[in-house]
Amino acid sequence: MDRRRFLWHWGGGLGGVALAHLLGEAGLLAQTSPRPEFNGGLHHPARAKRVIQLFMSGAASQCDTFDYKPRLIRTSGEKFDPGEKVELFQSSPGAVMKSPWDWKQYGHCGKWVSGLLPHIGSCVDDIAFIHSMVSKSNVHGPATFMQNTGFVLPGFPSMGAWLSYGLGSMNDNLPAFVVLPDSRGFAPNGPGNWSSGFLPASNQGTMIRASSPNPIFDLHPPKSAAFISPGSEKAGLTLLNKLNHSHMAERQGDSRLEARIASYEMAARLQVSAPEVLDIARESAATRNLYGVDEAITADFGRNCLIARRLLERGVRFVQVWSGADNGFPRRNWDSHEDIAKDHGDMGSSMDRPAAALIKDLKARGMLQDTIVYWTTEFGRMPCSQGSKGRDHNPFTFTTWLAGGGIRGGATYGESDEWSYKPADKAVYCYDVHATVLHLVGIDHRRLMFRNNGIDRRLTDVHGEVIRELLA
Amino acid sequence: MHEQSWACIQFGNAVVAATLWATAAAAADATASVKKVLEQSCLGCHNSTIKTSGLSLATVSEARKGGRRGAALVPGNPEESLLMRMISGEKPKMPPYGAPLTPEEVAQVRAWIFQGAPWPDGLNVNPRNTTSAPEWWSLKPLSPPQPPAVESEWIRTPVDGFIVSKLKEKGLTPSPEADRRALIRRLTYDLHGLPPAPEDIDAFAADRSPDAYQKLVDGLLASPRYGERWGRHWLDVVHYGESHGYDKDKQRPHAWPYRDFVIRSFNDDMPYSRFVKEQLAGDVLYRDDPDGVIGTGFIAAGPWDYVGHVELREGTMDKKITRLLDRDDMVATTMSTFVSLTAHCARCHDHKFDPISQEDYYSLQAVFSGVDRADRPFDLNPKVAAQRRPLLDQRRAIQRGLQPLLEIEAQTTSPEVQKIDGDLRALGLERANLQAGESERRKDIQSRFDRLTQERKDLVHSLLDSETRAAIDGAMQKLAAVDRQIGALPKPELVYAATSFFDRQANFTPAWQPRVVQVLNRGNVEAPGKPAQPGTVSGVRGLPSRFEISDPNDEGARRAALAEWITDPRNPLTWRSIVNRVWEYHFGAGIVDTPSDFGRMGSKPTHPELLDWLAVWFRDNGGSLKKLHRLIVTSAVYRQSSRPRPECMRIDADNRYLWRMNARRLEAEAVRDATLQISGKLDLTMGGPSVQQFYFKDDHSPVYDYTRFDVDSPASFRRSVYRFIVRSVPDPFMDSLDCPDASLLTPKRNVTLTAIQALAMLNNPFMVKQAEYFADRVQNLALSLPERIAAAYRLALGRAPRPDETEALAAYAAQYGLANACRLILNSNEFLFID
Repeated sequence: MDRRRFLWHWGGGLGGVALAHLLGEAGLLAQTSPRPEFNGGLHHPARAKRVIQLFMSGAASQCDTFDYKPRLIRTSGEKFDPGEKVELFQSSPGAVMKSPWDWKQYGHCGKWVSGLLPHIGSCVDDIAFIHSMVSKSNVHGPATFMQNTGFVLPGFPSMGAWLSYGLGSMNDNLPAFVVLPDSRGFAPNGPGNWSSGFLPASNQGTMIRASSPNPIFDLHPPKSAAFISPGSEKAGLTLLNKLNHSHMAERQGDSRLEARIASYEMAARLQVSAPEVLDIARESAATRNLYGVDEAITADFGRNCLIARRLLERGVRFVQVWSGADNGFPRRNWDSHEDIAKDHGDMGSSMDRPAAALIKDLKARGMLQDTIVYWTTEFGRMPCSQGSKGRDHNPFTFTTWLAGGGIRGGATYGESDEWSYKPADKAVYCYDVHATVLHLVGIDHRRLMFRNNGIDRRLTDVHGEVIRELLA
Repeated sequence: MHEQSWACIQFGNAVVAATLWATAAAAADATASVKKVLEQSCLGCHNSTIKTSGLSLATVSEARKGGRRGAALVPGNPEESLLMRMISGEKPKMPPYGAPLTPEEVAQVRAWIFQGAPWPDGLNVNPRNTTSAPEWWSLKPLSPPQPPAVESEWIRTPVDGFIVSKLKEKGLTPSPEADRRALIRRLTYDLHGLPPAPEDIDAFAADRSPDAYQKLVDGLLASPRYGERWGRHWLDVVHYGESHGYDKDKQRPHAWPYRDFVIRSFNDDMPYSRFVKEQLAGDVLYRDDPDGVIGTGFIAAGPWDYVGHVELREGTMDKKITRLLDRDDMVATTMSTFVSLTAHCARCHDHKFDPISQEDYYSLQAVFSGVDRADRPFDLNPKVAAQRRPLLDQRRAIQRGLQPLLEIEAQTTSPEVQKIDGDLRALGLERANLQAGESERRKDIQSRFDRLTQERKDLVHSLLDSETRAAIDGAMQKLAAVDRQIGALPKPELVYAATSFFDRQANFTPAWQPRVVQVLNRGNVEAPGKPAQPGTVSGVRGLPSRFEISDPNDEGARRAALAEWITDPRNPLTWRSIVNRVWEYHFGAGIVDTPSDFGRMGSKPTHPELLDWLAVWFRDNGGSLKKLHRLIVTSAVYRQSSRPRPECMRIDADNRYLWRMNARRLEAEAVRDATLQISGKLDLTMGGPSVQQFYFKDDHSPVYDYTRFDVDSPASFRRSVYRFIVRSVPDPFMDSLDCPDASLLTPKRNVTLTAIQALAMLNNPFMVKQAEYFADRVQNLALSLPERIAAAYRLALGRAPRPDETEALAAYAAQYGLANACRLILNSNEFLFID
């Protein structure tokens, strides 16, 4: 057993768990660890090694971004009558409401994108869109859980945790799963969205709050602790190591003791590598400009996207970047019940350029071919108005897109109806998108399981179909 | 044996007739394989009772008829058979659960169809593992086995006989007793979650009386620290938390009385069956005892979807889903906690592995269909309680009558009312977008809001027909009269608990009578089937699975019936479950290593006879947990050294047969509490509202921030069991030490050793501050540095340092200060691992 695998074992990765006698009896030994002949895949050859998920918290409107519907423009202001009773979250349906932004076609594929997102528009030939996404809840909390974990209940592992568990880390200095929350606060469910649930805790997302003076909890001693100095740290860790070794000498055969000694070595490496990865001052002016880190509107999300790229470059397996905080007021996420033009305007402008920059930058560095960029939200918004300028929740249809490793750029899968109210065909649940992403990183979603309280749990519950039409 | 076993009884003759070209034996093999495939992978959803997609594969006529998608089989033609299309191909559609069929299994089905799909008339297959299967170990009635007759000097209690005979059987030998210092350290952490005081260690080491160990155990069990330690274990099992979870993670300021009830029950050694009953139906069974109400905090312990319950309107699909999942949590918590069954697996289909039907599951949902989670009043004074009860009953009767009238009022509208609604919405938005400091405008908006609200109320009232209006007014007057009487009583305490009666909060209203629960096809609220009767699982011999409730509106009787079923001396699951949990916490591994799952997906007992002996012993000795602890920890198996021995490691590296004691890593709470005790800062105040070790802002979406908490404030020094537990934002320090997510039922914690954990132990402001306090303490205990190091070792590790350790740490302390040396000791493996 090599060293990384040993540490991963005590961190709780799958390769290590498979060593356990009990699980052998339970028949879980069939699950394997990443295989070189599969390009690092678990069950079949991997097309991608890394994933970055951009999560639009609060429910980004499909009909103001990527789901172009001439009928909304034509009939704007008329009664919304899709021919059935419309059950909304907060309100009664108002009139049909066209987007406040004009639409334009982009790229060779001719994809229509709203004027809110011109930068992403310029990347459409790399992107595959799904317009027939459906959520099982129209409430933010459960729906956000669902997109992250496949379940509307709390307590389940998020997609990043599953990837960490299944594939492990690609580096010795940084965690396998990193999360960059919106600097204004947490999305609904808080860190529950990147929980490891019942998987070992080492698989949960490590939070980096890039705008905070202490971006990673406890990375360094508090400044107030004057008795700790670089000298005391260096000598102290050496002495601790010695004490621990002599303690272990009398207890040969307990691998936990060695693992804990090693965890302090890894911690020391993380102390060096984390500040380096967060230091975007070293990036070129062109790159900083690409992400918009020096402009107020894009500074936060741009910096997080740029840090995300640096993390991916250094071997982090899964990075999740959040656009949007909680559903409070004044609006600080995509939950635009009151005023789409204003609130989606702000959110869209802050997200558009950095997200596009990420695709372009990864591509320029040759990383897009084995990195999946996965843009999602918890559900969509209604094509009719709420009040006069806002939109209520629409769990029936919304848009998700994917780009990068193994994805067919310029593709569109699934359509919504002429209103952008419900799917016209091929309803897609998060299960299918999760299955597709897992497929691309070399995992059969039906075989990545963990037994908890009597059930072999999967990211995709008992559902999920790989969407072949989206694969290159 | 299966009575209708396809392969064994009737199969042979029929196949000879159907397949002329094959030998009966070969065909019997093929069909036996197909039978196995059908039973394991298909019958769960496609049987005579549950016909998913209209298809049953349970009998020949049904299989040939097929389902909504047509015939499942075209005998002789696998390619034309729907069954083949569903189970084969690159991504087979069926079975939807678990692993796909293996290529061999698919080939067997194909061959069988090709052979004409021989299926003798009148023959059924049975889904695997349902009631007709041989009885599963955990469901077998309890009968006390005799402890094995083994002669050994090592044996101290009957428990040891079982252990040593199993060791012999496996070619293993027990380990010698650990030394006194290791024993007192092990016992104190195990029973108190704290390290022993140096003077207690010395006293025990020096006590030569024959009952020294016994006295130590009795003293530890008599201390209130015991309930705090073992109560915390219980709170893991029932996923107790103090905020709702999900979006808008509001606090539950009145959850803590349940936490105190648990600690009190452990300390008072409440008989286990009473402990169970108080948690499920104490309000019904022990009406005059405040603990009866508080105990039902158990039912309310788990997460709750605030937006789904409070904001979603009645009658919507999502409201139904919210309620379904809320009751599901109650069922899952109850059944996994008390009887170690995964009944919740049967929400969408019959349990795949255990004898739990979907109907059983919805019968359990019906038990809880009258209660919700909310603050509930109770009186510590039984006299006041007796006065309050009839008043609350009156109030409830009035409100029950009032409810339909209020619904009429709520539906009443007019263009004028709608205009006011629009104005109110606009004002609400204006208020929501106010910036801090706009207090004048806020006041103005509020007064306009209140005025409009009153206007609307009056307007709607005037629109009602006179009869309804009079009825509402009359009921309101009666209500006011009752409320005056209630108001004259002393103010009640509140506990967040199960209740069928609470004040309406927007769209969150009491059920008034138990809600109708229907069996949902595939768990889908849009596909309700027949109504479910209150009841439980059918697999326990001699006990009813459906409850006889004389008054269907008496929701409390339903819960009481379930409590009686669980605590019945004949229910083998209950008694096996609790003794196994206690064993697990003492040894780090249960006799059954899946403490909340005694089904086929769980582990099997390593010592089945011991488990049964303990279960009977515990049941028949009054269900005293303290007696059970005493029995276990005074046994030789518990008192063994934890040192590995190569000859045993080769045979049983995981120590499943307990040839030594397991060394344990401290849990998050024990790390925190031990640190406080060692530094001298531990505040042993018991009970009361939880300490909030975070910054809190009660916003539209509440904010919890642990980095803004002052680790040097009094709230920091209480035992960890009194921490306020937030579901959505866990404490990162505790989190790093595997403290579980309070949304998750946790019968057994994970143990990980990660870089993030190392950083937390080194750098978390709490640990750093405590290292300073620790240093202050030893500074005052001795004069020289070597003596101070020795004092620190005795406090933290329960032993004197060796000379090389003293020398190294004293030299380090001389250069970098004592606080740094103390910080190292708290980061040592020896502090974190208990021999």
